[in-house]
Amino acid sequence: MQTDTSPVWQRHASAILSGFLGDWLEARNNPLTMPMAFFHGRNPVEPDSPDVVEEPGSTLCLCIHGLMELESIWTIPHGDGAHYGSLLAAGNSDITPLTLRYNTGRPIYRNGEDLADLLETLVSHWPLPVERIILIGHSMGGLLIRSACHHGQLRGNRWVEQLSDCVYIGSPHDGSWLAKGAKATAELMNGAPRDYFRVLGEVIDLRSEGIRNLSRGDVVNPEDGEPPLLPGARHYVVCGLLARSRQHPVNALFGDALVHESSACGSERKGWTLSDVASFPGIDHIRLAHHPDVAAQLKEWLL
Amino acid sequence: MNEQNRNWWVGVADMAASGINHGALKLERVHLSIADETFNILQQVPVTRPWSESVRYIHHGISRLSYRSVSLAAAGLGALARRANVTKSYETHIK
Repeated sequence: MQTDTSPVWQRHASAILSGFLGDWLEARNNPLTMPMAFFHGRNPVEPDSPDVVEEPGSTLCLCIHGLMELESIWTIPHGDGAHYGSLLAAGNSDITPLTLRYNTGRPIYRNGEDLADLLETLVSHWPLPVERIILIGHSMGGLLIRSACHHGQLRGNRWVEQLSDCVYIGSPHDGSWLAKGAKATAELMNGAPRDYFRVLGEVIDLRSEGIRNLSRGDVVNPEDGEPPLLPGARHYVVCGLLARSRQHPVNALFGDALVHESSACGSERKGWTLSDVASFPGIDHIRLAHHPDVAAQLKEWLL
Repeated sequence: MNEQNRNWWVGVADMAASGINHGALKLERVHLSIADETFNILQQVPVTRPWSESVRYIHHGISRLSYRSVSLAAAGLGALARRANVTKSYETHIK
């Protein structure tokens, strides 16, 4: 795989554009499309020849970013490049930290299918027998974990048997209020009698399938029903809240800025049994992906 | 400029051209529908009624010509960008 030598601002611009229009860019074969890829540090990892990883361990810890983000979202500020995966690896040398980059504008179920396939390839070519897999997802990344688990299970993938822990960090399992608002506004505008309102509705409707999936937390095709949490694995939820006081009305209105606490916990999902839930008042949606307090909680759960 | 960088700018050109192409047509609809609000009022006023329809006709004609010229030019640039992208993909495939 070719190393990405593009400037950081170009990578961030591609991530943002992919989030807004990723499915459309992919359909046009536009070079701004971000293909799904694993990284170890800054080095891309080929799933069928993961030889770039020095001293590979038998436990894989994969961190999956959210909408319009890059793997750099995990980097803890003033932490010498550390992220949740590398901190876990520092506590257990058997853990190899990996990150995922993907086109967040594609439908989540399609990214889930691809991730399930890539994990199967990676695990079958890993230099050591893989004994344990940890998946950590931020925002949309958490929904992608559920989608990959569903497709991996359907296909009888071997990696699913090794999956021990799934961590959902600020993931909108029941939808995000902002995505729901965009959907409602578009529907309102599209039904307006004046053409200038309808154009506004059409512009909002340009949003990608990935963003549309966030309005209800869809992880599979609607005809596939609602898949349960993968049995046999532990499932942890991390929630953020904007205000430090739990009872503050801002928390009830906006949650962590994008996702309500109830949605992060999947309160509307049936039959969910979570191993543990941790809420962090005062930590917003983005900072959940690189906060020392969250890192300490992950160490407690996963080491 | 390396190949990755060049490809990135080709992608931006393709997206920008498509955005201007479709954006110009949407802007035309917004412009004409807002202008219709005014022309509909002028149509109700006895003094302006005799002229309002012909002015509306000329206004809409010039506006459509302008927006569609921009849209057509952008479509042409977009086609060039896509062609550059297809040529690049073909060369990569051959390698």
